Amino acid sequence: MGLSAAAANLEWGECIVPVAPVPPALRAEVRKAVGAVPGWLARLAPSPWLVRGLCEIIKRPIAHAPLEVCDLVTLVVSQENSCRYCYGVQRAVLKIFGQRDEYIDALVRDGQVGELTPAARAALDLARRLTRANPRPGGADFEALVRAGFSRAAAAEVVFAAAGNAITNRVGTLLALPPEPLVSFVASPVFRLVRPLLAWRMRPRPRAPEPAPHPDDGPCAAVVAALDGSPAAGVLRRTIDGAWASAVLPRRTKTLMLAVIARALGCAHGEGEARRLLAAEGLPPAELDGILANLGSPRLDAREARLLPFARETVRYQPAAIQRRTREVAQGLSPEEVLEAVGIAALANAVCRMSVVIDAC
Amino acid sequence: MLILAAALAAVVVALVLWLGHTRRTAAALEERLAAAAGSLESLQQAFARFAPAQVVEDIIAQGVSTRSEKKEVTVLFADLKDFTALAEHLDPDLLVRILNGYFERLSRAITNHRGHVAKFIGDGILALFGALEENPWQTNDAAHAALAMRAALADYNAALAADGLPALAMGVGIHRGTVVAGVIGSAELIEYGVIGSAVNLAARVQELTRAHAVDVLVTAAVRDALDPRFTLHALPPLEVKGLPAPVGTFAVDRFDAETRAQTPSTP
Repeated sequence: MGLSAAAANLEWGECIVPVAPVPPALRAEVRKAVGAVPGWLARLAPSPWLVRGLCEIIKRPIAHAPLEVCDLVTLVVSQENSCRYCYGVQRAVLKIFGQRDEYIDALVRDGQVGELTPAARAALDLARRLTRANPRPGGADFEALVRAGFSRAAAAEVVFAAAGNAITNRVGTLLALPPEPLVSFVASPVFRLVRPLLAWRMRPRPRAPEPAPHPDDGPCAAVVAALDGSPAAGVLRRTIDGAWASAVLPRRTKTLMLAVIARALGCAHGEGEARRLLAAEGLPPAELDGILANLGSPRLDAREARLLPFARETVRYQPAAIQRRTREVAQGLSPEEVLEAVGIAALANAVCRMSVVIDAC
Repeated sequence: MLILAAALAAVVVALVLWLGHTRRTAAALEERLAAAAGSLESLQQAFARFAPAQVVEDIIAQGVSTRSEKKEVTVLFADLKDFTALAEHLDPDLLVRILNGYFERLSRAITNHRGHVAKFIGDGILALFGALEENPWQTNDAAHAALAMRAALADYNAALAADGLPALAMGVGIHRGTVVAGVIGSAELIEYGVIGSAVNLAARVQELTRAHAVDVLVTAAVRDALDPRFTLHALPPLEVKGLPAPVGTFAVDRFDAETRAQTPSTP
C-alpha cells in the first residue's frame, strides 16, 4: 500500500551502510551524468555498478513514452513501495518541474486527476499493479496498455520506468538512505526564485531511439531485446552486466537470488535464465529444485543461506520490517557485500517485473 | 463623489475580507482532506492485513467486493486442549487475560512467518498461508509458524507458572489444499474468508492431536510439500468425522537447517 504526504513520516531507521570515500573519478562521472553530486553517492560508492545503474535510470533513458507520464509513474511507484526517500525526491522533482502541490496530492490520493489522459491513467494503473505484483501482471496487461494509446515501444518504456523504480525504491528503502537536501530545499523561500533555472537544468530531455545493444548475450537478454529501440535497453544491459561482473559476491550467489525472486514473482523468464546460468556454474538442476522449493539447503554456503530467504523478502515488504531484516542480514557482511546484495535484489525485482514485455511477445 | 468613493472602498474591503475568508476556508478544507486521505491510507494499510489488496480496493471503491477465487492455500488450525475445563475454575477477568496473552503470542508467531490470522473461534485460531498473496513457500511457512507457536507457548507457560497459573496445551493441525476465497457474510457482518473441504480437514487433523498425544500434526499433502529438513514421524491413520477413509498424519518434531533430506519414519 502507498505512502501519502500525510504518512511520509513513517518509521525510517538509520542508514544501514556507512559513508565511504568516493573516488574522484566516480564523483566526476556522477556529476556529469546527473548534474550534481547526490547525497547517496557517499553511501553507494563502494558499488560502482550500482552507482552507474542508478545514474542511468535517473537520467530517464526514454525515447518513445511521454516523459511527463514517466515522472508520474515514478511518483506513484515510490508511493506504492512506501519509499520515503524516493517519494520525497520525486515529489520535489515534480515541484521543480512546475507541478502544484494540490495536483501532486490529488495524484497520490487516488490517481484520478482530471487532467490525466486515459493512456496516462492506464500507465499509472499498470505501474501500480507491477509494483504490487500480487499477482504479477502478464502479457495481457501489457497489451491493454498498448490499446490505451501507447505504441509498443512507448508501452515498453512505461514498464521500464515502473520496474526501474523497483531498483531505486529498494536501494532507498532497504538501505534507509537519508533524505536528499533537495527535499527540504523545495520548501524554502528561495526555491521559487531559482525554480525555473533548476527545472531547465534538471529536466531530462527526450532521447533519440537506439538499437538494442550488440552483442546482447548476458543474463536476461530477452528482456533487454524487448526494449529494442529504446535507450533503456542499453541501460539495462550495462547494469546487469556490471552487476554480474562484480566480484564482491560470487555469480552463483547472485544468480540464486535472481532465481528466488523470479520464483516469488512467478516469472518464468527470470527463473529460466537463472536455471541456465546456474547450470553453467555447475549446479545440478535437482539441487536447484531443492533450493528453490525450500529456500535453503545444507549445500549452500553460510552467506547464501542468509541471502536467499532475504531475497524473497525483498519482493513485497513494509519499510520498517525490511529495514530491520536488512540490518540483521548485514550483521555478518561487509558494507560492499551489503550493497551488492541489496543491488542484486533490487535489480532482480526490476527485471522480473519488466519481463511483462516479453510475456506479451 | 465622496460617497461613491466610500462605497467603492467599502466594496473593496468587503471583497478583500471575503477573499481572505474563502482562502482560509479552502486551506482548512485542504488540510482536512489531507488528514482524511492520511486516515484512509492508514485504514487501507490496516485492512491489507485482513484481505488481499485488490479486495480492499474493491470495498473502498464500491462498498463491496464480489471477487472470489479458487486458490491453493495452507490452512493451520490451532486449539487449546482442555481449556473449557480450565475455564470453569478461573475468574472471568483472569481467563480473558490468559486467553488474550495466548492469542497475542501465537498470532505474532503466525504473522512473523507470513501467515494471516483469519479468525479466532472460541479459544481456536484459523490461520491461512498463501491466501493474501502468492506464496510458493506457504507450506514451509506454516510448519515454521507451528514450531514458533510451540516455542511461544513454552515461553508463555513459563510466565504463567511464575504467576502460579496453570499451563496451557495446544494442538495444531495443518493441511494444504484448494479453497474458495472471498468476502463472505451478510450486510451486517462480512469477512474475507475461505471455504472448502481443505479447511474442514485441517480442523479435523487438529482434533487428532489429542488422540495421538502430540502438538503439531500435518497431512500427507503438507508432508509432500515440506522441506525435508523438518523431522516428521508418521502416525497410524485414524477415522475422522465427515470423511469416509481414515486419515494418516505426521507429527512435526523439529526443523534442523543443517540436516540432509530424510524420509519420515513409518509407524
